[in-house]
Amino acid sequence: MAAGRGISQLLKKQFQFGSLFPSVLSSVKQQEAIGSAGMKSFGALALLGIGISGALSFASFASADEAEHGLPAPSYPWPHDGILSSYDHASIRRGHQVYQQVCASCHSMSLISYRDIVGVAYTEEETKAMAVEIEVVDGPNDEGEMFTHPGKLSDRFPQPYQNEQAARFANGGAYPPDLSLITKVPLLLLCILVNCNFVKLSIPFLGTTQWPELCVALLTGYRDPPAGVMICEGLHHNPYFPGGAIAMPKMLIDGAVEYEDGTPATESQMGKDVVTFLSWAAEPEMEERKLMGFKWIFVLSLALLQAAYYRRLKWSVFKSRKLVVDVVN
Amino acid sequence: MADEEVVDPKQYLEESCKPKCVRPLRAYQACVERIKKDETGQKHCTGQYFDYWSCIDQCVAPKLFEKLK
Repeated sequence: MAAGRGISQLLKKQFQFGSLFPSVLSSVKQQEAIGSAGMKSFGALALLGIGISGALSFASFASADEAEHGLPAPSYPWPHDGILSSYDHASIRRGHQVYQQVCASCHSMSLISYRDIVGVAYTEEETKAMAVEIEVVDGPNDEGEMFTHPGKLSDRFPQPYQNEQAARFANGGAYPPDLSLITKVPLLLLCILVNCNFVKLSIPFLGTTQWPELCVALLTGYRDPPAGVMICEGLHHNPYFPGGAIAMPKMLIDGAVEYEDGTPATESQMGKDVVTFLSWAAEPEMEERKLMGFKWIFVLSLALLQAAYYRRLKWSVFKSRKLVVDVVN
Repeated sequence: MADEEVVDPKQYLEESCKPKCVRPLRAYQACVERIKKDETGQKHCTGQYFDYWSCIDQCVAPKLFEKLK
């Protein structure tokens, strides 16, 4: 039937372009309810028309369906992956150096204080020396004025911009997100606002991939765009970023940082180190958590065995009793 | 201390993984040829590009960290 064919073609287009036309489907049902043969074929043509125009409107976007979700990031064998594995603290130290020299000019990490890093990547003296290099606003004093003093261990990492608007203004409308929790899997949806000329695109981003993996892939994954894809002025192509066009330029370049311990600072080395640092920043309790988890799972499994034995002991009375049914004829 | 020129192991691994991913690479190159004559500006090779780079990534990722410190 013409209507049936129209519907199947429409459904094929739906699957091809991943679009959702719930309203069209309901109108399909309405069309069928109306009934006469003439109306049915007209309805099928109308549906075909809707399907084609819907498909064309999707094609006019530079990004295909795949680009909308971004290239999936591969899994890396992190040294801190195992059930009892700790962070590579030398890597955290190098990663902090990369953050400070490369990323801190745009990205804040406002949940981390200087004291958090003592004993993890630096000694107390080293951290104090780092902290006094920044000026922290304090006050008001007795005269009611705000004043500044050199940083202390209790102060947070400095913010490059006063507020979000200043950050957006300095970065062409894009907001460099705070990196304190960037490697943790956040809520189900994270909306990243991108400004492309006059249009703000809000791209819903499902956390289907591992975030540390995604961070490394993103930082080291700047490549030439595929043939036929045009990137807006001011944006850069990164296949791992949903939509393919990211506001941040490629920041990790071979030799950009000179590591204190002499490690060659290649792009992938810096990517690994900075993401280890960010993983620590998001989950500083990881080592303690793993130890505690191992200990308590062991203790609770012993407790489970004991509880199972005790239950069966108490129930054995009932499990082993005999019931006699006296049938009266 | 390493040599003066830093060579990114990732580039080296991506090159060495190319033979494993010849098929998606050829598919991508074929697509590029096909769309060269395109006038509309709507055609692009994102699918083939993703297939190729996905293959390379799967090959490179397990080996990369061994080369880094």
